[in-house]
Amino acid sequence: MSDLDRAIAQLRACRPIPEAQVRELCHKARELLIEEGNVVTVTAPVTICGDIHGQFHDLMELFRVGGDVPDTNYLFMGDFVDRGFYSLESFLLLLCLKVRYPDRMTLIRGNHESRQITTVYGFYDECLRKYGSANVWRYCCEVFDYLALGAIVLGASTSLGESKGLRPENLSSTQQDDEGIEIELLNHTGGVIDRFPRGQARNGARSSPSTKSSSSPAAKTGPPDPAPGPQARSTARRSNVRSPLVRPRRDRRLGPLPARAGFLFGADIVKVFNHANDLSMIARAHQLVMEGFKEMFDNSIVTVWSAPNYCYRCGNIAAILELSEDSSGESMLARSNGDVNRSDGGVMKGNDKVLLAGPARRYRVFQAAPQDSRGMPAKKPVADYFL
Amino acid sequence: MSAPQIPNLLASRGGPRSRGGRGRGRGGGSTHAQNRKDLDVQATDTDAAVSRLSAVSLGYFNDPSATYFVNGAGTRRLPIINRGTYTRTTALDILINAFLSESNDTPPQKRQIISLGAGTDTRYFRLRATNKHRNLIYHEFDFPSVSTTKSRIVASNESLSKGDGNATLFVEPKKPTESDSDPDPEWGFRDLREGESETIYCCHPLDLRRLPYAPSMKELNSFHGIQSDIPTLLISECCLCYLETDNARDVVKWFADRIPSLGIVLYEPIGVDSPFGQTMVANLAARNITMPTVKVYKNLRDQKDRLSEVGFTDSDGGQGGETIERIWDQWVSPEEKERVDSLEGLDEVEEWQVMARHYAVVWGWRGSGWDSWKELL
Repeated sequence: MSDLDRAIAQLRACRPIPEAQVRELCHKARELLIEEGNVVTVTAPVTICGDIHGQFHDLMELFRVGGDVPDTNYLFMGDFVDRGFYSLESFLLLLCLKVRYPDRMTLIRGNHESRQITTVYGFYDECLRKYGSANVWRYCCEVFDYLALGAIVLGASTSLGESKGLRPENLSSTQQDDEGIEIELLNHTGGVIDRFPRGQARNGARSSPSTKSSSSPAAKTGPPDPAPGPQARSTARRSNVRSPLVRPRRDRRLGPLPARAGFLFGADIVKVFNHANDLSMIARAHQLVMEGFKEMFDNSIVTVWSAPNYCYRCGNIAAILELSEDSSGESMLARSNGDVNRSDGGVMKGNDKVLLAGPARRYRVFQAAPQDSRGMPAKKPVADYFL
Repeated sequence: MSAPQIPNLLASRGGPRSRGGRGRGRGGGSTHAQNRKDLDVQATDTDAAVSRLSAVSLGYFNDPSATYFVNGAGTRRLPIINRGTYTRTTALDILINAFLSESNDTPPQKRQIISLGAGTDTRYFRLRATNKHRNLIYHEFDFPSVSTTKSRIVASNESLSKGDGNATLFVEPKKPTESDSDPDPEWGFRDLREGESETIYCCHPLDLRRLPYAPSMKELNSFHGIQSDIPTLLISECCLCYLETDNARDVVKWFADRIPSLGIVLYEPIGVDSPFGQTMVANLAARNITMPTVKVYKNLRDQKDRLSEVGFTDSDGGQGGETIERIWDQWVSPEEKERVDSLEGLDEVEEWQVMARHYAVVWGWRGSGWDSWKELL
């Protein structure tokens, strides 16, 4: 057993590893990450996960539901730390897995992976409490600086493969009114409680599914970083995209966010962005959705939220998004980073509004880990309220 | 979260004084469990005091006395909690200032505030600091142990005990009763008003649950300084929600039966059937805290109906109610929102909305002296 495997085992038991080992791990991670681009390419099949926020036991739940590393290829969209009690263990475990299985684990940077935010929302305090100094916090922050900002998923299938879970008997195949989207409700051992095609979903987005068409070369995840698409007809210029935040908005304008944390984008911007970058769909995180995931703007964007009962207080459920591999091989396209065929910076022409259908997607919806698995005394106050 | 839990200071200070459930009217094996539970409820006051100091230190609102009621330097709360503390305080400020502004009439009409389960609340001292207490008599009710702790803090702090001109601290022993042979004294401030010495602030050590049923407390004048003939505002900031529903109603009725011109402000959680609400109930249960009334009054409509049932009816007065979410949206001006937002930056709008939707401020009134409240609607 290597040191790394030992560290993984220790962190899986929710026990922090010694400071010297953290230092070494972060050093290795930086060496690895420096070779990766700001926008990394990931090949389907892949399971996309949203916010974790230090909810270690729920991260274990996520692995039970989504499969273990390296069996499952994971893409985490950031916000590993802050808010929960176990930011340190959660982030270090993910980082260990990244170093141990670099090709099966992609971590991108969330807005909480920053020095400033972590001093307000808990990670800094947690490091100080667990190590008595800010060194570990400093090592982790240095890793944050090297994390990718976005990822592009290639080769996702337009139809769902066979699920790993068991098919409930009460669901006949004729009920599958949309074979491209499926939602599975899972119990805490990862068994399927219920599964239904998208048309019957009571949770989640209310918009109608539209994924019947064929070519879906890519689903983009993470912040809408303006990387050129594979057959880029046009490319959004970097200055056009100011913020990783896309918030739901019925009207079509855009404007500053109330808290001045970025810009508010509506449906039109998302569609123009997808079109310009030849993307079929954006997956993003960092906005609480009580139902675990929410597709919006004619399925051009989805929010994935993977922290069940957020802050041990919100009572929400969580989801992960599985994209399966396209076995036909047709959707595997080489991506060009060159300037070939760049056009007008993403301004959409009137007759140009052809949207790519999203990839087939399976949402696995899960609840918070049961209290007894948390190893916390039941009487310990878990969340603040206004009292 | 980031904040390590604050030990329950009031419980440890008040513990030795509780002398076997004295005067609680409960006997046998349940006494110990009940005392334990009472201490857990009293500990919510520590929560509130720490939250208040956190918001004040960060500049959300002004309260020079907040620091005196927290042991040590306090703990910084998360931005969402600070905004909640700010919004709740602002809501109460608006209602109370409207109530007090009526005393601009000539001659000035004297007014009275009775704060239930006030704990170490600093509202009286905030009013005093802004000179809004001139025509006001302020009463507080809370458990004897809480009241005693507060009196100790006030007596030992010069800016609290001597910060108001010639007003002087008093301690007024209570007569023993059948159920309580050694009652804790009432205490407060006296001042010279119009040549006469008058009680202007008074704390009444009492387990409020007993109020409607104890034979020794049939009359309003069993409490020092409470007047029946002036407009009076009852305040319950997360107090009555810890009482059994009938008990809470009887407490309000006790005052309503004795004071003709009466208003009330309640601040409590609502919406306990939602996933957030159910999680809240479960989390608080883990702290041994139950809130019977929130299971009965589940939304603003229920809360307003509750007030009209105890006499705050449309024929003689009215009721109003808003969620904390709406109060932040509607009552706080855009400039003020920008100021508050710039203090910390609240990054989680959705979490705020879901949390703020689960707290409400409800108010009702009847009789004369409430014109400024009618304009609020």
